[in-house]
Amino acid sequence: MTAKVSRKRDSGQMSQRRGDQAFAFSLLSPALLIMLVVVFLPLAYAFFLSLNKAEIVVVGGKGSVLAEWRWLKNYLYFLVDPSFWYSVRVTSYFTGVSLAIELVIGTIIALVLDKEFWGRPVVRALLILPWAVPTVVNARLWGLIFEPHAYGALNGLLQTLHLIGPTEAVNFLAPIPIFQNVPGLGQITTWLGATRAINWLILGDTWKVAPVVALLVLAGLQTVPKELYEAAEVDGATAWGRFWRITVPMLRPVILVILVYRTMELFRVFDILYILMAYTIPVLAVKTYQEAFVFGGFGRGSALAFLIGLFILIIAFVYIRLVAVTEEA
Amino acid sequence: MGDRRKILQRVGLYVLVLLILVWTLGPFIWLFLTSISTQAKLNTIPIQWLPSPPTFEHYQAMFDPTSSTGALFLAAMRNSLIIASSTTIVCLIFGVLAAFSLARFSFRGRNALVMGMLATRLLPTIALAVPFYVLIVGYVERVAPMYDTRHNLVILYTSFIIGLVVWIMQGYFQTIPKDLDEAAMVDGCTRFQALTRVILPLVTPGLVTTGLLAFLLAWDEFLLALIFTRTSNAFTMPYFVFIVGSSQYYQSPAAVAAGGFMAALPPVILALVFQNRLVSGLTAGAVKG
Repeated sequence: MTAKVSRKRDSGQMSQRRGDQAFAFSLLSPALLIMLVVVFLPLAYAFFLSLNKAEIVVVGGKGSVLAEWRWLKNYLYFLVDPSFWYSVRVTSYFTGVSLAIELVIGTIIALVLDKEFWGRPVVRALLILPWAVPTVVNARLWGLIFEPHAYGALNGLLQTLHLIGPTEAVNFLAPIPIFQNVPGLGQITTWLGATRAINWLILGDTWKVAPVVALLVLAGLQTVPKELYEAAEVDGATAWGRFWRITVPMLRPVILVILVYRTMELFRVFDILYILMAYTIPVLAVKTYQEAFVFGGFGRGSALAFLIGLFILIIAFVYIRLVAVTEEA
Repeated sequence: MGDRRKILQRVGLYVLVLLILVWTLGPFIWLFLTSISTQAKLNTIPIQWLPSPPTFEHYQAMFDPTSSTGALFLAAMRNSLIIASSTTIVCLIFGVLAAFSLARFSFRGRNALVMGMLATRLLPTIALAVPFYVLIVGYVERVAPMYDTRHNLVILYTSFIIGLVVWIMQGYFQTIPKDLDEAAMVDGCTRFQALTRVILPLVTPGLVTTGLLAFLLAWDEFLLALIFTRTSNAFTMPYFVFIVGSSQYYQSPAAVAAGGFMAALPPVILALVFQNRLVSGLTAGAVKG
């Protein structure tokens, strides 16, 4: 804005503006240079690699890259490969189910914390704890809880609650397809790659994130004017009606941001699945890691990496547009 | 009638709060309880929730540099502290300058740049990990040692943290009126001095929040550490927690739990101490977009 106004003024202002531009650029350039080297250059190189059959040969401690031009063959390889589409479905299942659970649990926690009760500030402070636990520790922590023997923590809890027999044990991380005895649904879950293991891992991942979702929703709740609820109560609206007619529409911007941010984070999930399940739940990040660093196919790995990157950038673009629209409204 | 309903509602509320607390803290408390249990206690049926007597042997082992676990743990802790702090400092210095520029001056392509900064934070790590690896092992390694070094991880971590720093800091700069820069310049400051002497002290809370987020992100990172480190020269706490659980270093569930607890302790303490700042930083990022 200011730049446009000053353009119409005298030449003294013009030179001042030119000085501003030089200053602005000199502050920006180190960060831009860093990003050029560590983000855009590698991305461009990934695209180049994805058009090649690329291998790394190490001779006498010196590595060199063997590249053989293959046009779009790496992309075609995945697009006709059923295991790639299986990865897409498993990743989507993990993302979708996690998102739904995170939002529901997060909103419930936020609604409880929005009430007045004794010790509320302490409870709210403690909610940040799971978010601070590193993802690798979270994986190990749930690995311990899901211990498949009768002495495991979750098995112990189920025994105490009499949900299973006193010496029984559930193997939580078993790759058993779910809903197999329900016709139709069983086929859908098998097609999606929904197993008992992935469902329990979703619970573990949700533990880390739901409280922070709750804190974000809570911040959104506190922007809702209390008069709206009072007016609705006077008009005879039920608590349920008030939630759907006032709370949910007012939370729309916060929920939108959480949805898209989390979609992108969930879509690239790696740590918990790789650490506890190795390559048995082949979400896209795990498959890419395996393709590049286990099979040594850096061309194919790059093609996969590029496909994920592209997908995420599309979501990011949609997200930015949606946020821009919400801010204008 | 109305009174009874109110009391029931209160009781219901406290039951919900208790459930939330058990769900939030239970798993982490279990991690600690496992870490101070003996193997015999962990293998008891029915389960014994409280270890009696507790044992701190795994913590002692981690702080004993002569034991194999201790050597690994102390190296990982040192590397993580060095790498996470260096990354934070690098990202803050260059990120803050860029953020100030983006917040104060309007020029063509400014909005695209701001969005580009955000987009780099959203890129999946694996998308950068593959080309990084080929570039570093295939080319850079011949000129300068990079593989299994701390400076390599600092450079790589900067790639996904600096964009976030720029994004958050430019939001903080926009809350400071532009008149202050001009007033400082009338008083004889150069543009750069106006930034360092007048504006930066005013955004100190924002700097602390952003620095914390950067530190926590760098501390948490696993995939790049897994790919680019191998020895105690550079491996980090997440890598340590990974190998004590699934390799020749594996000893017992209690040892894994103790390692995990120690890796979680620094970020958990930071988050609890600064929870107000972090929540406001996260909500500013999320609510404002």
